Amino acid sequence: MTAPANGEIRSSVRIREGSDTVDQRSQFVGLYWREILRTFRNPWVLLMTIVQPFMWLAFFGSSFELIPGGINSLKPLLCGANVACTAHLTSYTQFLLPGVLATSMLSVGFFGAMSSIQDKRFGFMKRILITPTNKATVFLSKALGSATRGLVQIPVMIGAAVAFGVTLQGTALEWIGWMAGLVLMGIGFSCFFLAVTATSSDWQTPGVISNFITMPLMFASGALFPSANYPTWMQYITDVNPVSYASLMGRDVLVFGTVDWTYLLYLAFFAGLMLVLGTLIAGKYLKVE
Amino acid sequence: MEYAIEAQGLTKSYGSLVAVDHVDMEVPAGTVFGLLGPNGAGKTTIIKVLTGLSNITSGQAKVAGYDVVRQPLHVKQRVGWVAAEVILDDDFTAWENLWLQAKLQRLTDWKERADDLLTYFELTPRKDDRVSSFSTGMRKKLEIALALLHQPEVVFMDEPTIGLDPSTRRGLWDLISGVNREFGITVLLTSHYIEEADALCSKISIIDHGKFVASGTPEDLKSRVRADMVELQTDEELTEATLRGLPGVTEVRTQGKTWILRTPSSADLLPVLFTRLRPDKIRSLNVVRPSLEAVFIDLTGKRIEDEAPLHDYRKFYASIRRARQ
Repeated sequence: MTAPANGEIRSSVRIREGSDTVDQRSQFVGLYWREILRTFRNPWVLLMTIVQPFMWLAFFGSSFELIPGGINSLKPLLCGANVACTAHLTSYTQFLLPGVLATSMLSVGFFGAMSSIQDKRFGFMKRILITPTNKATVFLSKALGSATRGLVQIPVMIGAAVAFGVTLQGTALEWIGWMAGLVLMGIGFSCFFLAVTATSSDWQTPGVISNFITMPLMFASGALFPSANYPTWMQYITDVNPVSYASLMGRDVLVFGTVDWTYLLYLAFFAGLMLVLGTLIAGKYLKVE
Repeated sequence: MEYAIEAQGLTKSYGSLVAVDHVDMEVPAGTVFGLLGPNGAGKTTIIKVLTGLSNITSGQAKVAGYDVVRQPLHVKQRVGWVAAEVILDDDFTAWENLWLQAKLQRLTDWKERADDLLTYFELTPRKDDRVSSFSTGMRKKLEIALALLHQPEVVFMDEPTIGLDPSTRRGLWDLISGVNREFGITVLLTSHYIEEADALCSKISIIDHGKFVASGTPEDLKSRVRADMVELQTDEELTEATLRGLPGVTEVRTQGKTWILRTPSSADLLPVLFTRLRPDKIRSLNVVRPSLEAVFIDLTGKRIEDEAPLHDYRKFYASIRRARQ
């Protein structure tokens, strides 16, 4: 092997002399693909990502299956005065599917935070940060990587819903908008989890946070039931809860037949806000080990 | 560039704990420099501050000509790192680990060099295997290959042979020497293995409690101790004055329950000890001839492995055996 000249650097883009900033695209691509590849190479993580929402759909969705009067007896509760809903709703599973998909995107943040803590505990964060890689790049790659991982469950869930007898409707554009909303929500909650656990290297932290926020955000969202019948204090939470808007948007597509695009705007605002805050927090406080 | 690493008054504190205490160092480019000290002496902390992983509390340092505080990314593009614990992505193959390292170092024309490194480290037949199936020695080789992929000017090796069997350790010494010799790379190596520092380093700094207590070539350091050190443990009630009064003893110190006697000739002193002291009370007697070990004992009053966990286990098991008797 030919010895190189001492000190020769073969990097494709040299750092500009006199500055200490460096283009982060290459590092982001590497770390993002690492997150994705690790997911697909760990069958248990993949399986649990899919099975958890599937079980919600199977067990919770089937819980009203034998109610006297069938779905028609539930329509006044689930649809209220919404004529389109009353006309199109064929099962509780159809009503539930958008809510379960929205709720399941909450958990992707948990996996992202676990991945970050694993890197800290096993020293991989040091290996990354001893290269010209910013902490903000590490944060963004993990946030987007875990949000992408969350997308894996969507086609599986929709396939399962069809198997449970759900009739799909909505235009391609509406479906794209709904999926984009789910992605934005996943990014937002990934950023939230990663930012909150930035200073932690304790395995238990993501679980504690997940347990703390998942249940209130799920029930105070309209993911499982319409929020119209909630007490006022719970409706305040529902009104700002991104899970509500991802659920409503999906329900617009699947059940109501008309989509309110402001839901997507709200989810984009939530994702953007969390990205900015998370990047700032991680850039400053992300623990190396 | 005369020096690959320069530091003046380098200090790192964690609250009230001063892990690195006003260290000055100059590492000539192209050399293997050793930091020798027990666990917790501050060796790894020095690497962390020199590579920008930890902030400096006070002082200044340059690596590869760049200030580690003001230009950390310049530094990071020019350094490689081999950790004490092997850190690889176990879900990835050897080649994929190299790919990720290339991405993190923003390399485009890395594949030929990666192939060369795999060949050099005899890993080519396993390049497409996941590293979780590698032996510790193979993992360590791959980690060194990762550190060299971007052709760094300085490679930091933090206890590179810790946990390896003697045969693999010696094989790795050859590789480390080769990295320095073949690639002209400056190596800063930390170790608490005396023989490792002696075999590999052209210059050594001995560190204890965050401070450099001596620096020089191995020969320089050894020449400071022109005497044997005799470590004595006895149940006999002795005083320092008694021991200093023995013929051939030039200095007496204590470390815990061990007396450390300095003498020009241990061969002459040992018969004296057996005649002037009570031989039945002597629990252990150990002679340390001029070596880096002797230098370390001379400078710090203790053996380098005194703080190693294994030593504590030995003491623990010995105490159990005594209790059973």
